[in-house]
Amino acid sequence: MENKYNFANKYRDQLLRCSSCGSCRAVCPVFGISKRPAYNARGKMLILKEVMEGTVELNDELIETLFQCTTCANCAANCPSGINPPEIIKLARKDMVNIGSCHPAFKGMNEVLKKSTNIYAEDEAEDFGREKKTNAEYVYFVGCVGMYREDEATAAALELLDRLEVDYTLIDEVCCSGVLEDVGYSLNDDLASTNVKRIRDTGAKKVITGCPYCARTFNNKTQYEELNKHGIQVLHISQFLKKFDLGVKTKKRVTYHDPCDLGRHCGIYEEPRETIRKIASNFVEMRHHHANSLCCGAGGGVRGAFAKNSITMARKRLEEAEEIGAEVVLTECNSCVHNLGNAKFRAQKFRIYTTTEFLNQLMDSAG
Amino acid sequence: MNEEIKERIKGIIGSENFSDALIDRVSYSKDSSEHKHRPDAAAWPLNTGHVSEILKLANRYYFPVVARGAGTSLAGLAVPQQGGLILDMCRMDKIIDINIEDRLAVVQPGVVYADLDRALTPKGFFFPPDPASGAVCTLGGNVATNAGGIKGAKYGTTKDYVQALEVVLSDGRIIRTGSKCMKSSSGYDLTKLFVGSEGTLGVVTEITLKINPKPPLVSTALATFENLRDAGHAVSQIMHSGILPSALEVVDHQSITAIRENTSLNLPDVEVLLVAETDGYTTAETDYQMEKIVAVFRKNNATTVTKADSQEEAEALWQARKSVYGVFAKINNNLAVEDLAVPMSKVSEMMIAISTIAEKYDLKMPTVGHVGDGNLHPTICFDGTNKTEVERVNAATAELFRKVVELGGTITGEHGIGLAKIPYMDWEHEKQSIEVMRSLKETLDPKNILNPGKMGL
Repeated sequence: MENKYNFANKYRDQLLRCSSCGSCRAVCPVFGISKRPAYNARGKMLILKEVMEGTVELNDELIETLFQCTTCANCAANCPSGINPPEIIKLARKDMVNIGSCHPAFKGMNEVLKKSTNIYAEDEAEDFGREKKTNAEYVYFVGCVGMYREDEATAAALELLDRLEVDYTLIDEVCCSGVLEDVGYSLNDDLASTNVKRIRDTGAKKVITGCPYCARTFNNKTQYEELNKHGIQVLHISQFLKKFDLGVKTKKRVTYHDPCDLGRHCGIYEEPRETIRKIASNFVEMRHHHANSLCCGAGGGVRGAFAKNSITMARKRLEEAEEIGAEVVLTECNSCVHNLGNAKFRAQKFRIYTTTEFLNQLMDSAG
Repeated sequence: MNEEIKERIKGIIGSENFSDALIDRVSYSKDSSEHKHRPDAAAWPLNTGHVSEILKLANRYYFPVVARGAGTSLAGLAVPQQGGLILDMCRMDKIIDINIEDRLAVVQPGVVYADLDRALTPKGFFFPPDPASGAVCTLGGNVATNAGGIKGAKYGTTKDYVQALEVVLSDGRIIRTGSKCMKSSSGYDLTKLFVGSEGTLGVVTEITLKINPKPPLVSTALATFENLRDAGHAVSQIMHSGILPSALEVVDHQSITAIRENTSLNLPDVEVLLVAETDGYTTAETDYQMEKIVAVFRKNNATTVTKADSQEEAEALWQARKSVYGVFAKINNNLAVEDLAVPMSKVSEMMIAISTIAEKYDLKMPTVGHVGDGNLHPTICFDGTNKTEVERVNAATAELFRKVVELGGTITGEHGIGLAKIPYMDWEHEKQSIEVMRSLKETLDPKNILNPGKMGL
């Protein structure tokens, strides 16, 4: 019999298959900081199973847990039953929005993207002092966080591309809007078609993104299929950089934080490490790395909706950097840099950069 | 539970450590078993004083209190069958002391097994009873369940390592049991009474564990057999060799088939396989033990014996055994991980019975187990939405435990009684023994506040 909720129709088998073993407790970042089982995947699956069976109402009472998931997918990576909680939660969020139940921060995000070109509702996009070309080999797509919050990291990434003599252009980009899919809404068609058109107008056959989430959205969402149809390949900058001989070195103790969007969601673990190992002889992994990496706490809309918990998750991640005595924490996601940077205590002496920014600094020092 | 009680609990532990929200009540309604019931509320005590005050309140107002760790019980130990208050011990998660000279670790009950292991490893020590849920389960839960693990044959179970406890009794009194000494013959052994008592006699708030130096080296071998009887004989004859393997695990034919069908592991299509591990301080020591075991395997018609020459090879040999939960969990919607133990000499007879019962009731019942201590886990993979299949599962389970008792075994080796094994309690224990258990419960918890409805007491 058809259930009134889409999540229940699509994911009934997965919900029934959750054996409540609790393996997700060990890896869920929200549970890790709260020790509240209602927040981990087992808790959420138990609640959604009862919604499916009609013994719990889908309403505002569930916002606290269902909207508090970073969609980091560490639970899915460690689930013996093979279920994918973030996908189930994302569809349940859409069901909630359909009945008018939504976290105000997520509702606000959707409203902002109806009127604005970016998630921060900023009026002026940074041009980074570069002219937009009408003909280039690559488009460099910055992403909202890199454009409006981590612009120094972006400026450094662009300088690095200049040093490497890459023929690229920026475009008048708008938010890829992929995040709306995570927070109960749908990708904004207008924003997507604007990006597709502006990329195509440059004649470039490759797009390099500074943001792993944008790369994920371009490669996986139907609204961006046109890029692929026209032979336009989308790469994250970590994939692009691995072929270069960078000619700089550091003796500092360097570690790498796997962004969930690049690692668990795209399977890209080794490319960033190839680049980092070329420049850093003293490279050390944190306790959790690769597919077991801890989330920085920013994803799935959690930074906007549950800011305090988001920062606490980032602090937990940084404890692991401290544990191994890292001097430099590198990552490949501006959103991670932003959240980890906000969470860092002054007493913590390590520095946090995107790999590109750190590389550019080394090149600056090398003259 | 009325509002006045809730307000009083909040007064004790603070409103940030209390919840009666629906999301918490639902998430505490289940553990890893098939049992389910919602509590009225949940509390997260931060210290022994909190636990004591809450139990005084429970004693005064008669509401059930169910202490809970990670909720990984496979027998319903953590399910609040009569509602009441969940006492989630996970925020009492400090490792208080690791004292190598005294060979002790003192922990709060919410410490996760893996976190203690991580703290002990650099010191060259370990806490041997290692449940499969070690990455998640808490030491308080391990004590309440008397949890075992893969190393039971050589190193025993949790009860063999609990030296002392701090326990809050049902009326709120706080007692200390046991001793920090390696030896003690002083008075009744109250420590052992609380270990495995499933939260029915008191709430453990501090645990003092004996820890062991960890032998750094292992030898590993895998043997395949064409029939269960040969494998069973091999298991019982290993004891004649005078060797205690640090692990001796079995994977049966249904499990092998499931692994072959659902993973890329290239397992041979054999009736049964055994994985053995010996540990020690030199390769000569571990190899000497393993050679004795391999000789027993060969003498009992092992079709193949593979010895690992490196850590990678050892991991490959373990892969089949360690992959089973993930494979079984994907076979069907529901999973009943059964737990039984029989005397070592009866292992092959029990395994043959499991296979016969699975066939009789037309059930998928792959079986693995720690045969080194006679502990088997037939795992029934079924569809809980199929009423007739559920009836067959229930009938098969009953028949399984009839056989266990007939063979002089026990209805649980390491998962506990909880709710799942209540129907079989009086099959294993005679009336007088159960009466003694009941009188202990009545003495320590006269108002039946602590985890009521469990163990059939």
